[in-house]
Amino acid sequence: MQGQAIPGARFVDPKVLARIGNLELVARNVVDGFINGLHRAPFFGASIDFAEHRGYVAGDDIRRVDWRLYARTDRYYVKQYEADTNTNLTILFDISKSMGFASQGVSKLEYACFLGACIAYLAQRQRDRVGIITFDSEIVTHVPPSAKHFNVVLHTMDRAKAERPGQLSAPLHRMAEHFRRRGILLLISDFYDDPDAVLEAVKPLRFLGNDLIVFHVMDPQEIDFSFDEASAFQDLETGDQVPVVPDSFRQQYQALVREHIEALRRRFAEHRIDYALLDTREPLDRALFSYLSSREKLMRVR
Amino acid sequence: MSFLSPLLFLGLAAIAVPILVHLIQRERSRVVEFPSLMFIRRIPYQSVQRRRIRHWFLLAMRAAAIALIVAAFARPFFTSGAAAAAAASGGSREVVILLDQSASMGYGDHWPQAQAAARAAIADLGPNDRASLVLFGRNAEEHLRSTSDRGRLEAAIDTARVTSGSTRYGPALELAESILAQSSLSRPEVILVSDFQKSGWTGSEEVRLGEQARLTTVPIGSDAANLSVPSVAFARAESAGQERVTVTAGISNRTGAAASGVTVALEIDGHPVETKTVDVGAGASASVVFAPVSLAGSPMRGAVRAGSDSLASDNTFHFVIGPSQPLSVLIIENGDRASSSFYLSRALSIGAAPVFRVEVLPAGRVTAAALDGRAVVILNDTVVPQGIGVDGLQQYVERGGGLLVAVGQRTTWPPNDAALLPGTLGSVIDRTSGRGGAIGYLDYGHPALEVFKAPRSGDFSGARILRYRPVEPGPDDRVLARFDDGAVAAVERRLGEGRVILWTTSLDDSWNDLVLKPVYLPLLHQFARYLASYEAPAPWRTVGQVADVSAILKSRADRIVVTPSGTQIRIAASEPGLVELDEQGVYEIRAAESGAPTSHRLAVNLDPAESDLTRLDPQELVAAVTGSAATATAAVAVPAEQTAAETERQQSLWWYLLLGGLFLLAAEMAVSNRLSRTERFL
Repeated sequence: MQGQAIPGARFVDPKVLARIGNLELVARNVVDGFINGLHRAPFFGASIDFAEHRGYVAGDDIRRVDWRLYARTDRYYVKQYEADTNTNLTILFDISKSMGFASQGVSKLEYACFLGACIAYLAQRQRDRVGIITFDSEIVTHVPPSAKHFNVVLHTMDRAKAERPGQLSAPLHRMAEHFRRRGILLLISDFYDDPDAVLEAVKPLRFLGNDLIVFHVMDPQEIDFSFDEASAFQDLETGDQVPVVPDSFRQQYQALVREHIEALRRRFAEHRIDYALLDTREPLDRALFSYLSSREKLMRVR
Repeated sequence: MSFLSPLLFLGLAAIAVPILVHLIQRERSRVVEFPSLMFIRRIPYQSVQRRRIRHWFLLAMRAAAIALIVAAFARPFFTSGAAAAAAASGGSREVVILLDQSASMGYGDHWPQAQAAARAAIADLGPNDRASLVLFGRNAEEHLRSTSDRGRLEAAIDTARVTSGSTRYGPALELAESILAQSSLSRPEVILVSDFQKSGWTGSEEVRLGEQARLTTVPIGSDAANLSVPSVAFARAESAGQERVTVTAGISNRTGAAASGVTVALEIDGHPVETKTVDVGAGASASVVFAPVSLAGSPMRGAVRAGSDSLASDNTFHFVIGPSQPLSVLIIENGDRASSSFYLSRALSIGAAPVFRVEVLPAGRVTAAALDGRAVVILNDTVVPQGIGVDGLQQYVERGGGLLVAVGQRTTWPPNDAALLPGTLGSVIDRTSGRGGAIGYLDYGHPALEVFKAPRSGDFSGARILRYRPVEPGPDDRVLARFDDGAVAAVERRLGEGRVILWTTSLDDSWNDLVLKPVYLPLLHQFARYLASYEAPAPWRTVGQVADVSAILKSRADRIVVTPSGTQIRIAASEPGLVELDEQGVYEIRAAESGAPTSHRLAVNLDPAESDLTRLDPQELVAAVTGSAATATAAVAVPAEQTAAETERQQSLWWYLLLGGLFLLAAEMAVSNRLSRTERFL
């Protein structure tokens, strides 16, 4: 169901990462390995590439004057590089109670933390400003994007606990009102809602031209539904219970989940929103790759 | 079925737990937390109808398991149905039922109660149990031995009757012990059904049941009031040449309340003679003296009846009384002294039981005919009468006569006689110098001297013996008395059916002063009774005694005994002729041949102790016999075998119930696990 990891970029198993406990260390470990694995990739080094020339104005550093161009044109131009065009990266982190589910060591919340930390680290390495908003049925924590907020972001993710029922539309609508500057929005959630409702909740985030990347984090059990014994299944968020005999439920359940994922994928694609389904069994490389390709697209657009 | 801890049945409320779980949380046996039920809810439910049926099956298993475990903790045991108890305890019982059939059991409805209790004991027998039935009174009789045939046992109880016997627990318990000792069954038990009369247990009985044996007592009735005639006394007197007897009856009242106006009647030969009323205080006795009755030539049958109560048998006292029969005594003296037999004849003329009819004859006038009909012949300081000679005397003795030879100055004895006289007479020993001799030894074991055994029953030491003739007794002769110097004073020889006593000093005052001592008369009477083989005719006997019919009839021919109930017992000539008197009333004994003379009668009464219904504490008896008083006393109708705790411990049913409960739980677990894989719901 999931794509294969990029050869040579296989990272440490999420279960092993979960034992490290320090998000920065996790992120550095993963990202450095990831970058080394991608050093031939066409997207590498985008942040320090030349972007354009502009006319010299008083106050500009004369070291940045393009003397070759001056020799040809006898005008002073200053070189501008991509690295200088910093971007705001805001991680929209769903910490609703359903994210706390873990069937095999790593909960969805932990996996999301690793993911968020890695991406934040990547961004920080590229001089992007990093911020985070955690939410469940309402906004819980808001750390505005800043070049200095990397550690705060990590700390926020570290403290995040899946305790309350979640809802997408209300907090996302409020966030959409909040953003004043375009940037990259990284939405990490399990999207337990109707695809239409999800899209309605997400759409406003795109209004300012934000680049929205959606990570749909799911536990393997949520996908496979490989329970054995007949049990009463309790909704983590509402506490409701339903008697379930997995053997007879499995096929129907898997079909419903597939349908849900496909619906999300289709809807997000229709609205040019990058969507990636992440299984907590998988290493983080595919998620990072997804992010970077999105970042590249953003640069090209600009 | 009973329970040692019935309160633990409150634990049955625990059955509600699985029911509540089934009713309220039956679909939540295992909860799995899941992020969202969004998709699960979209999957339609299946019907739960079939599930419920299986559900109730599981519920029933769980409830049954809890019920079994609770029942196990309640410690159940079987109270009735000894079969189940025996099966549970793993051992069969050897039961000996001791059923008291003494006369006191005839009180009111005591006997039916006792029979019912015995039947209840039989009903409690298991299929592998065996029981013996022992009926006892004074003696114990093994009626049925170690049988599991209930029908025979119950039939034996039905046919058993109250006897006239007294109560003695010792023989019955000894018999029970011997029966149990021979049994191979593992649970020996004795069930004693009785009214527990105190008189039946002296405490000195050496009866001890085995360690494994249990003694269950079944007391019948309670302390009961009783009026009885324990004895009758007779006073004989002669009036106008006719012997008359005055009957005095004793009335005993063992009631807590005084009895007034008790009617006491005297019957002679079945005819009422006199009736009197008497007041008897509570727990006291009174006597009633009837007017003198003339005695006819033959013994008369009499009875005294007093009052009426629930124990009628001891309200009547039977007796047989006849005219006194004097003993004929012939005193043969030398004839040369007028007073040589004075003391002797005077001493024998005193007394009423028996009356001695004394005749004194000089030796020269005695013929063989003079010995006919004589009970005793006394040779008083004389020679052997020439008219009869030593042989004649010997024949007389061998026929059963009694001969007393009193030695004196004139006594001579043929030296060639070694058969009649016990020993050879020596020369006169003269002890006149000094104080004289004395009688220093008496054989109190001899029947003639037995009465002097008790203290202050005869002082022989005061008599001064001045002269005597020493005797050398034969090896078969028995020395009855010796002087202080060891010389023989009296020696006896048995000859044929008769007896000879040689008194080595005189029976007058010539050689000693014994005649002046108080002991002289009883000594002489005892010698005369003994030599005459006299036995006072008993006006009555007590149930349980043995009558020697041969002695009564003085015949060894075929004899017939008619018991008070009318049963005729024929005793052949070859048989000893001993009859146990086991019925109250009057026995008739006569020779079997036709034309036999008038029959003899024997009155038989209850043992007076049987009228005393004072009860013995059954625990005292149990403690004495088993060494432990812990054995339970059973109720009359349902004799319990042992305490509930002991029964429960022996049966140990809880163990099986607990195992059953655990097995059900295990089965329930297996079934529910299996169902959980195949069914939607538990």
